[in-house]
Amino acid sequence: MGTLNSIGAGLLAGPYDRYFRPGYVHRDLYISPQIFEEEMTRIFGSSWVYVGHESEVPDADDFVTRTLGRRPVILTRDRQGSLHVLINRCTHRGSIICRQDRGKAARFTCGYHAWTFSNEGKCVGIPLKHAYEPHFKLEAQNLRAAPKVQSYRGFIFASLSTDVPSLVEHLAHARRYLDEWLDRGERLPIVVRAGEMKFNTHANWKTIYDNAGDGYHPPFSHISMLRVFARRYGDVDMQYYSANFDEAPLLSRDLGNGHTLLDQRPSMHSESAWKRQHVLPGREVLWEALNQKYGPERALAMLDASTGSGLNLNIFPNLLIIGNQIQVVEPAAVDRTVVRWFSTTLEGAPDEINAIRMRMQEDFPSFGEVDDTAHFESCQMGMETVPEMEWIDIRRHMSTGAGRIEEDGARTDPISSDLHMRCYYDAWKQRMTAGTS
Amino acid sequence: MSQVNPTTEARADYFDLIFYREVIALFRTWQEITVVPDDRLPSVEQRRACERLLYAEARLIDSGRLGDWLALYTEDCAYWLPTDIGLRDPAATVSWEFDDRRRLEERVERLATGRAYSQIPPTRTAHLYTNMEMMTHGEREVLVFCNFLIHTNRLGRIGQRAGWCGFLLRLTDSGWRIVIKRINLLDADQPQDNNSFTL
Repeated sequence: MGTLNSIGAGLLAGPYDRYFRPGYVHRDLYISPQIFEEEMTRIFGSSWVYVGHESEVPDADDFVTRTLGRRPVILTRDRQGSLHVLINRCTHRGSIICRQDRGKAARFTCGYHAWTFSNEGKCVGIPLKHAYEPHFKLEAQNLRAAPKVQSYRGFIFASLSTDVPSLVEHLAHARRYLDEWLDRGERLPIVVRAGEMKFNTHANWKTIYDNAGDGYHPPFSHISMLRVFARRYGDVDMQYYSANFDEAPLLSRDLGNGHTLLDQRPSMHSESAWKRQHVLPGREVLWEALNQKYGPERALAMLDASTGSGLNLNIFPNLLIIGNQIQVVEPAAVDRTVVRWFSTTLEGAPDEINAIRMRMQEDFPSFGEVDDTAHFESCQMGMETVPEMEWIDIRRHMSTGAGRIEEDGARTDPISSDLHMRCYYDAWKQRMTAGTS
Repeated sequence: MSQVNPTTEARADYFDLIFYREVIALFRTWQEITVVPDDRLPSVEQRRACERLLYAEARLIDSGRLGDWLALYTEDCAYWLPTDIGLRDPAATVSWEFDDRRRLEERVERLATGRAYSQIPPTRTAHLYTNMEMMTHGEREVLVFCNFLIHTNRLGRIGQRAGWCGFLLRLTDSGWRIVIKRINLLDADQPQDNNSFTL
């Protein structure tokens, strides 16, 4: 498990070794089309990848379309309630069968020659079948499907390979934090049907994953946002990123298998997360309405449970839990990534709470993510254009001895550490070289 | 731990659930009518005043005068960029932006810090408003539906945003002002490039 940290120590030997030096990774990992293609097969095509949330397909015959790497897939729920992840490519000529984002369908018919498939992926009809060989079998024309589909508390993952550990084993220590994220407040179930923002980012997908566990950048990259809120509202939000924030109770953790955590809860939730939160549209009136309905104590508890979660939970390779959002990284090309921010509401929560969640889920994307994206794109430009400078620096807290191994065996570092990148590149290497030695 | 203590004078009392219902109803009107009914056609003077306001709005954005731009909005305004192309309820659907007066001020202040990296250098824009349809909404308000095209240029790269805008304009004691601007990108539900400029 992840504490090995071979990139820090320069241990493993394999075909990708030349892209790693202690404390550095090579720019080719971000700009080489060959490596990108290989990642689509090995990272996104042979192990667990997040696909969607069960609340997106709650009923029989519901479907949404997604990707596994670049492969278009349809996530379906059949009449028996089982989930399927079907490759959305006609087995006949390759056409994309389902061209809608979401909907209800028991069958999918390819528009080209009307080959028809059930939502379990079975080929159920082909026009003018007599023209094929005598032993032609419909069941040999089924849609290709992910052989492994499992969900953990609503989060659906798929693997195109059967040679994978169970999902729970794969999630490793990340499971504990996913539980904590889900079990806030009154433990109302989350619902992922409240819209999403899709950012088109002209950068390699790993630059986004790099940033998801980067606790070094917030006070610098996000200074415009922090300054505006500090000037207006005082000590709110991430103002605890003060002069030496490595000494604040903010942590970076290795959760195994490339998963990591930035934990700001000790700072953010020390009293009331809601009271620390900068204002959002309707804050005062919606708070007052909740006070009237539920009394101040219960109202504040509900608000605290819906305020920024204080953790960034990164589940390799494509699922990022940030605030109340489910962020999904979709690689589109070596230098282009779609970052999807799925918003969440709570089932059975008062309308005021869900309205507050919506407005809260708009602030960081438009006040912070936009600056991150600008930096991702400039990193890509710098890596592509300067061949003399090959290496990306990931040395923070590699040699300070500031971290520690926790009781559960996982490593914890100060928040500004590059532990996240060193850990996930270990998992990256393992997946990229599995079965090749 | 300090309580949140707003230093701004901006109004914060109107973004409640009733406001959400009213906003949805306003824009549903455009889906229900074919042509603007005779009894809701604005007067020539109203129409001229509304056009003057919207062209000034576009020009102030395009010339980067965001403080002056903000002054065209009422104290109970909303600036709304949905993530869907239908009319989903903003109380239960995330938008790209759904700002009240206070957040709109924060947005302008953020861009003015000189550290808003998504806008260094800024996106240059040319706003075109066209196909303007107007209908009165009570005594002192006018609803405007128009198409927009925003030509953009950032870092030498040309871009475009297109769609329709819905405005609610009001005659206040200090002249015509914008109460609501809803910007409906044709591709609001698709991956968006850098939209951190003012649309």
